[in-house]
Amino acid sequence: MSSFIHKFYKRWQRWKSDVPVSPREANRHPSAGETEQRLIAEQLDRQKAFYENILNKLPTDIAVFDADHRYLFVNPGAISKEEYRKYIIGKDDYEYAAYRNRDVSVAHSRRAKFMEAKQTGKEIRWEDTLTDPQGNMITHLRRMFPVFDQTGELSLVIGFGIDITDRKVMEVKQAALVEQLSKQNTQLMDFCSIVSHNLRAPLVNMSMLVDFIEASQDPDEQRMLISKLRPVIGNLHATFNELVESIQIRQDLEVKKENVCLHECIKRTVSGLETEINKLGAKIETDFSEVAVVHYPPAYMNSIIHNLISNSLKYHYPGRSPLIRVRTRLTADKIVLSVQDNGLGIDLEKHRDNFFKIGKVFHRHPNAKGFGLYMTKTHVEAMGGRIWVESVPDEGSTFFIEFENRIKQAS
Amino acid sequence: MKSIFLIDDDPIFVYLTRRIIASIDRQCKINEFTDGELAIRYLGEICDKPELLPDIIFMDISMPVMDGWEFLNEYSQLRPKIKKDIALFIVSSSISPQEVERSKGYSAVSDFLIKPLERGKIVEIIDNAKETAE
Repeated sequence: MSSFIHKFYKRWQRWKSDVPVSPREANRHPSAGETEQRLIAEQLDRQKAFYENILNKLPTDIAVFDADHRYLFVNPGAISKEEYRKYIIGKDDYEYAAYRNRDVSVAHSRRAKFMEAKQTGKEIRWEDTLTDPQGNMITHLRRMFPVFDQTGELSLVIGFGIDITDRKVMEVKQAALVEQLSKQNTQLMDFCSIVSHNLRAPLVNMSMLVDFIEASQDPDEQRMLISKLRPVIGNLHATFNELVESIQIRQDLEVKKENVCLHECIKRTVSGLETEINKLGAKIETDFSEVAVVHYPPAYMNSIIHNLISNSLKYHYPGRSPLIRVRTRLTADKIVLSVQDNGLGIDLEKHRDNFFKIGKVFHRHPNAKGFGLYMTKTHVEAMGGRIWVESVPDEGSTFFIEFENRIKQAS
Repeated sequence: MKSIFLIDDDPIFVYLTRRIIASIDRQCKINEFTDGELAIRYLGEICDKPELLPDIIFMDISMPVMDGWEFLNEYSQLRPKIKKDIALFIVSSSISPQEVERSKGYSAVSDFLIKPLERGKIVEIIDNAKETAE
């Protein structure tokens, strides 16, 4: 500290001595007595203590550098330990890093900032995030600005930083909120789309059919038109049920997880799809040697496996017996469940963006409504997991589902 | 003789629209396509044969394999090669303003019609097509 003020003082004196002195003043100077000298010294000491106090008490970190990036001053906000504060004066960040046994990369980046301020001659600001010994992320807003003397020479660079960790934490929270909001907005758009395409369409058909029935005079024709109403109503009913189910998934945030045995899950799905499996001569192979039990809501796991296997059956390659392989893989902290088939496959080049979107149908199949994969995705994402697909047209598709591994496999 | 293409995967809607068109103009020739891909493929084949090309296209948005938007993208590219002025109408059950807005980005689209199609509207469209053809 003292050396900082001292330097300033010396600089001031040097500047004063550069100023031409009038003969009268020059004459008066030697005439000043010792008393006056002492008074000036006392006054300077008081001023020094005053500024020192301010700089030391400011709740920010302040550092002042010379033109070669050597420390002239740091306040306790920057370096709390007096010993280190004393050491750093006259040194640079590299020497300090070596002294404190610290990573040299901080010195590199600070040097780069210093050079930027020095070369541009302008104030620079940036955000600096580091981890404190307790493992907390601390963010500072730092500013550095060059100070030039009368001749335009760089005399000092002053740097200071303010802790903006609180603000940063808020920003992160806000970003998370915005993301959640935009997700919910997408869901709303999805629902708008379902209501339009999947609920309104059959309603329109029903009202048009009724108009025609009313307008017709011919009983045979009326009967024929009435017979067309039944499948429309059935369709509306199915869509409605699926919609309700999907809303329930979204609302069921606290849904109960249990240990689900995947072999049991497959057994249930196979018995549910027995007719199709037998008709197509499908073979289902499983490999659960790495993970056989998962911690998941049983209804979701059943629905996921049922949807994927029934998809593989539905979109089998004509004349080729479906071969479906279901397996699990264990990574460090995740489980990946995959369902591979030898079916029609899908042109991912064309459809990657809207693969799991509601109402998307990729094949001409009478029972395709574009709900299955959307529902599966909903089930997976409600549990914080991820779903993706790999596929080669005419060769087959593999669906992957990744979710957290919450069971300790040892137990 | 007018020619109309109906591109829609909903059999009931296609059946009812066919009946309305027939009741307006018995001479009208109607081709059905259950998705965008089947329609665009055929249009590609006949693009330089005005006698086979339609005067009017009614097209749904929500369809399997190739939906209405994908169809419009391909149709816009094909359009310079099409040797006929075709009036294309989106006929959707959608009530979403975003979709109406989106359709305005396609110069090929004459109008966005919301199902159910009113008989009066179809009469008007067929009449207008007649004027331009003659």
